[in-house]
Amino acid sequence: MTDQAERHAPSTTYSGTMGEPAIVEVEEEAADEGRKAKRKLGTFFWVAVGFLAFIVLAALFADFLPLKDPGETFRGRSREGPTGEFWFGNDNIGQDIFSRTIYGARVSVFVAGIATIIGIFFGSLIGLVAGYFRGRIDAILTSSVDLLLAFPALVLALALIIFFDNEGDNRRFWLTVTLGLLSIAPIARIVRSSVIAYSDREFVQAARVLGARDGRIMFKEVLPNVIPVILSYSLVFMAVLVVVESAIGFLGLSVPPPTPTWGDMISKGRNELEGAAHISLFPAGVLFLTVLALNYVGDKLREFFDVRESVI
Amino acid sequence: MAAIAVIVIGAWFLRPPMSWTFAILLVTGVVASTIANGSYVLRRLAGLVPVLMIIAFFTFIIINALPGDLAVNILGPGATPQAVEEINEELNLNDPVMSRFGDWLGDAVTGDLGRSRILQEDVADGISRTFPVSLQLMLYAQIISIGLAIPLGVWAAYRAGTRVDRAINTAAFGFLALPNFILAVLLVLFFALGGISVFGTQVGVEWLPAARYVAFGDDLVLHFKHMLLPALSLALGQVAVYMRLLRTDMISTLQQNFIDLARAKGMSDSRILWRHALRPSSFTLLTVIGLNIGTLIGGALIIEFIFTLPGIGTYVFGAIIARDFIAIQGAVLVISAGYVLTLLAVDLLYTALDPRLRHA
Repeated sequence: MTDQAERHAPSTTYSGTMGEPAIVEVEEEAADEGRKAKRKLGTFFWVAVGFLAFIVLAALFADFLPLKDPGETFRGRSREGPTGEFWFGNDNIGQDIFSRTIYGARVSVFVAGIATIIGIFFGSLIGLVAGYFRGRIDAILTSSVDLLLAFPALVLALALIIFFDNEGDNRRFWLTVTLGLLSIAPIARIVRSSVIAYSDREFVQAARVLGARDGRIMFKEVLPNVIPVILSYSLVFMAVLVVVESAIGFLGLSVPPPTPTWGDMISKGRNELEGAAHISLFPAGVLFLTVLALNYVGDKLREFFDVRESVI
Repeated sequence: MAAIAVIVIGAWFLRPPMSWTFAILLVTGVVASTIANGSYVLRRLAGLVPVLMIIAFFTFIIINALPGDLAVNILGPGATPQAVEEINEELNLNDPVMSRFGDWLGDAVTGDLGRSRILQEDVADGISRTFPVSLQLMLYAQIISIGLAIPLGVWAAYRAGTRVDRAINTAAFGFLALPNFILAVLLVLFFALGGISVFGTQVGVEWLPAARYVAFGDDLVLHFKHMLLPALSLALGQVAVYMRLLRTDMISTLQQNFIDLARAKGMSDSRILWRHALRPSSFTLLTVIGLNIGTLIGGALIIEFIFTLPGIGTYVFGAIIARDFIAIQGAVLVISAGYVLTLLAVDLLYTALDPRLRHA
């Protein structure tokens, strides 16, 4: 999905839909050197992994950690900045921002995580079938994927969430399902192109000559080679979905209060930017670091597995 | 097929308020490409008809296949049976779904997207009221991001592997991870609200307005002042994407023989970079710019929300919150059609830019 989906929307970018850029052979020597250098993961990689592990574990075990109650309002401490007791300070009604950020990670990380798994499962299946069989099946699947991408993802997500769960009783579930469904199409697209790169290779032809069935070739020969690609992209996708979930929360349509969500915290803090900017800035900073870490780990893994962009 | 395409797309023009937005999209693509190859354009336009039909069908089905009674969905749970009956009558909800789809599509093709009960306004009017704002935002964001990304990308490619290159790349990677709504909040904080005080010193300024829209015609200077922060919020993330793409393509272009030849002839570096290497390196960039324009045609919902710009994103968000099904249906159709048309226009521009693709 785009902006960001980003993007924002949800907005991952894809190249090569229209005019294929001329492929240029890079000088062999330079490429080899580069590859050796890239084979190391580096310190930052482990720092990023550590940060992600911290976020996930803290979210999982938030109930058992010595955190303050995220819903408790501390009298006389509203809009106070960070102190030794309240690491991130307090919000406009005196709640502990640190503990709310940790509890907020629950929604973001788990909604995005499970949605990514849904998207990866169905997207890989579709991409595998389309890329392996080519021909008419591929044409049908690819054009349906292209069609789905024409819909504005964030609008569709918001609309579906409101339709299925107007009261917000089951927001977490519907949010996950909606985001999962919407990420199937872009994932299928990526998996397809990397399946195509493998399905003409010698070992696949060898398997075919030996009389292996299509299903066996797909799952035993092609899939294991594509899994590293899927894995590294799944982290980048999860980053996109974390952003989308926060964006939805920012618009006030994620899991309703009193459950804290990052998007909602950032949005509420906007009224206090003058004088108490930390109310928005701390959850925003944690969101930024999470997305940065996911992107970085995904990118490094892609380099590590030597997934070349030209293939995709 | 071509004739049908012309009729269907031409029908949008029958309705004056809708016309100019689509005109911009179509005219760019068509003009640029008729120079290249006229019948090819018509074939591509014809290919859009089934796509648009399916999009329309999906949009309709999503809204109409919802669980529960549509009339109750529109009115809310507390609806009286009498009101439900009225709505059913008014929107022909008692007819079978397919026949309603036919009616809706027939109207939509001539630019009639129904009437919003909540806004007391035709959906087509609402969209043509809000579309220009989103288009302006999209345009400014693209101008800023392309204007920044091309020099940065060329510079990073020219200095590939050096400290400058690494610094630009690291910054770009950081901006990629910064969601645009957080960027918007930061920009508002530091450029509109005076920023934060760090150990007693105030970091930030109060140069620009924090929100609200001023029309282009009302006050030119004020218009750009109000649009600068929203456009920047969208642009800075895109700069990172564009710059990285251009850098990668440019590095491989610079390794080609014709660059060596130019260098051997004693041509200056800047001339090689800007006149010889930039154009063949810009095709991936163009594709992605096209995709971004296509996406932003549908408005930047969250940025419009933050800066209270009355664009199509705000319109559709309001419709979603109010459960204004007719408006959502119409807006989603127009946004998706806009996306598809933009992608086509970009695709056709390619053939105009790169002669090699014309007969491919």
